[in-house]
Amino acid sequence: MTWLGRTTAPASLGSLLALRPELLDLHRDFYNKLWNASGVPPRLLELCRLRVAWRHDCRSELLIRHPAAGVSDADRGALADWHRSERFSDCERAALRLADQVPWQVGDIDDETVAALRRHLADPQVVAVMLALTLFDMHCRLRHGLGVEPPETAEATNAALGTLD
Amino acid sequence: MSNRPRITPVVSGSALAHQPALNDAFWKLYGALWNRGVLDHRAKEIARIRNARVTNCGL
Repeated sequence: MTWLGRTTAPASLGSLLALRPELLDLHRDFYNKLWNASGVPPRLLELCRLRVAWRHDCRSELLIRHPAAGVSDADRGALADWHRSERFSDCERAALRLADQVPWQVGDIDDETVAALRRHLADPQVVAVMLALTLFDMHCRLRHGLGVEPPETAEATNAALGTLD
Repeated sequence: MSNRPRITPVVSGSALAHQPALNDAFWKLYGALWNRGVLDHRAKEIARIRNARVTNCGL
């Protein structure tokens, strides 16, 4: 149950952000640029989003799907134990190490963890990955903090937030 | 926690400048949060400082 007032529809993150329309618009612009103009492969961003959501045990975020990102159901299943999976590239594994730490151990991220990602991505992309991880982390915190319920359809949530083109 | 930047800053000491479009979108959102919000600045600043303390962010 969300803490905020609503009318009839289940509370989605987009509908709650819409209580502040100017923030919703700016947030959507930021989110879309991250997915579409950062130079980071959407699959890498999607893996990061799902892993951060997994670390938060955030059902409403985990239910969202971005099919265009190219993450299969098998990939999603393997994320729970990605360390032992062979489904992910070295670049993806480096990003997933960061994704594991951002939610609850951000202060423990060390130089080698970032250096591992820099061996695969240019600095602008590394910056975008870190921005993405913190944004995905924020979404989970918003969802938990405001009591956002899992969406009835992922498409509804994606439409409210902005998503992949 | 490291107190040295892990990404070489390119403009005004900000790693975000590596991504000009994202940097612009981020600061528009952050600026709106600070300047067009329904909360007073004191409340937001207290929350910001407390968050930095909890996350041990001395930067």
